[in-house]
Amino acid sequence: MKALVLAELLKSRSTRTQVALVLATLAFVPWTAALTIPGKGTENVPVSLDDPRLLAVAVGNSFGAPLVLMLLLGGVAFTQEFRYGTVTSTYLVEPRRTRILVAKWVTLALVGGVVTTLTLMVSVPFSAALIGFRGGEVSFGATFWTMTAAGFVVLPVFGVIGVALGALVRNQITAVVAVLVWMLALEQLVITSYPEVGRWMPGATTFVLLQMGPSVDPDGKLLSASAAALLLAAYTAVAVFLALRLTPKRDVL
Amino acid sequence: MARAIELSGLTKTFGDFVAVDDVSAVALPGQVTALLGPNGAGKTTTLRMLLGLVAPSSGTATFDRRRYEELTDPVGQVGALLEASGCHPGRTALDHLRILAIAARLPQEAPERVLDETGLAADARRRVGEYSLGMRQRLGLAAAMLGDPSVLVLDEPTNGLDPPGIRWLRGYLRRLADEGRTVLLSSHALSEVELTADHVLVLAHGRLLRSSTLAEFRAEAGIGSRVRTPDPDRLGAALDAAGHTYRLIEVGLAVDAAPERVGEVAAAHGVVLHGLVGTADLEQAFFRLIQGADRAGQPESAPEAVS
Repeated sequence: MKALVLAELLKSRSTRTQVALVLATLAFVPWTAALTIPGKGTENVPVSLDDPRLLAVAVGNSFGAPLVLMLLLGGVAFTQEFRYGTVTSTYLVEPRRTRILVAKWVTLALVGGVVTTLTLMVSVPFSAALIGFRGGEVSFGATFWTMTAAGFVVLPVFGVIGVALGALVRNQITAVVAVLVWMLALEQLVITSYPEVGRWMPGATTFVLLQMGPSVDPDGKLLSASAAALLLAAYTAVAVFLALRLTPKRDVL
Repeated sequence: MARAIELSGLTKTFGDFVAVDDVSAVALPGQVTALLGPNGAGKTTTLRMLLGLVAPSSGTATFDRRRYEELTDPVGQVGALLEASGCHPGRTALDHLRILAIAARLPQEAPERVLDETGLAADARRRVGEYSLGMRQRLGLAAAMLGDPSVLVLDEPTNGLDPPGIRWLRGYLRRLADEGRTVLLSSHALSEVELTADHVLVLAHGRLLRSSTLAEFRAEAGIGSRVRTPDPDRLGAALDAAGHTYRLIEVGLAVDAAPERVGEVAAAHGVVLHGLVGTADLEQAFFRLIQGADRAGQPESAPEAVS
């Protein structure tokens, strides 16, 4: 398994696309964090400048683009193999396909950890500096550390779900379009317009776990953190189960 | 070291369509076995079932009585080339092979060794997207040889190769077979098979029509001619008038008539010949087999590379 994971890591490093995607995503991080931090004297904001949760919420919101990135990277990890025909050599080297799936999951989990670290390295200093500049309170309290820990879980989990999605869909364009439409349009619309329904969607769980809640759910209709964690685990389990079930049986034509 | 390939009652259906129909055959160590057939004959599906990429509807395909999934060291036991495009265009050839070598736990120097063997060492750090089709085909062969396997399974390995590349491949495969390895390759380039294979398996409409040594097949094929002339158009017209079919080949004309008869026709029309040799026309024999299968009520399928 270690050999397969090392091979998967080299796959992700050896093309420019993935590196470019990560860098492009990191460029969004300060921007999304800045949107959360209100100006001095601004009223009717979800989290005010003197709210001790502000740093956690700002940094949490900056995980928005990296979450989409992880789902895309996970999806591309499999669909790219079908797009370029490399799946043939991948399966010839390791005919037990569940091991390939597991190797990709481990790899994307590791990548998720790296992306979380990079996001924090950009977002935390930027957010703290902007909050301080605008005269707000920079607090590294329990909320911040809980959010940080959640980042190290949620991003790898999205990578895992992405791999499962890619294994099931197999067509790269379909997978990428589906991820973008789902995460950037459909979920945002349903969660904000119909929170009773939207709170059960996978993206809503991240709003809770990454402290994005106050920004999008001022009425508190989202699930509790523990319920959101359970729901995300359930979604992940279903995706993993389906990928494990279907991948070994499908013909590679 | 070498392992035999055995197909036994191998069948694959896609809905109502029978892609491979009860195929049983063997490819032996020390031989180049050619799986021959027109496009759509079921060659690729057969090879993919052999390699565990497509699940047979029934029957088995084994290497030394083991299915591909059951091999303990698949890369070290079987090398395969299924598609020249099976590389990410943004990745260098060296990285492509390194990925496979790492996953298969092969020695670090294995990628450089096979790049050298296949003549790609100088282009190892170029991205595959910059490669010609022939270079990608060589890279596919390099990947197949990565584990120094005792069995090679190659799907249309001459695709995209230029004449020197084809000549190189012919020698390369011959050397591998002479080392005692089992080489199974598919092709519709019949002239290539004629120069490379020891044994032929002819497939059409998913069914195995013939399994025989090349010598047997050649004996059945009858005699044809290859002729070199500075005036192929006039010779062609003369052959037409005499009722002989022919086709243009790289070095002149291939004629479905004995060399004596071709010489007479050329002399009667005053056409200068630079060369005239008799051949057993494998393509003609192949064509007859395929026509027989068509007449047996199968859907029409026009074989390519056959005039």
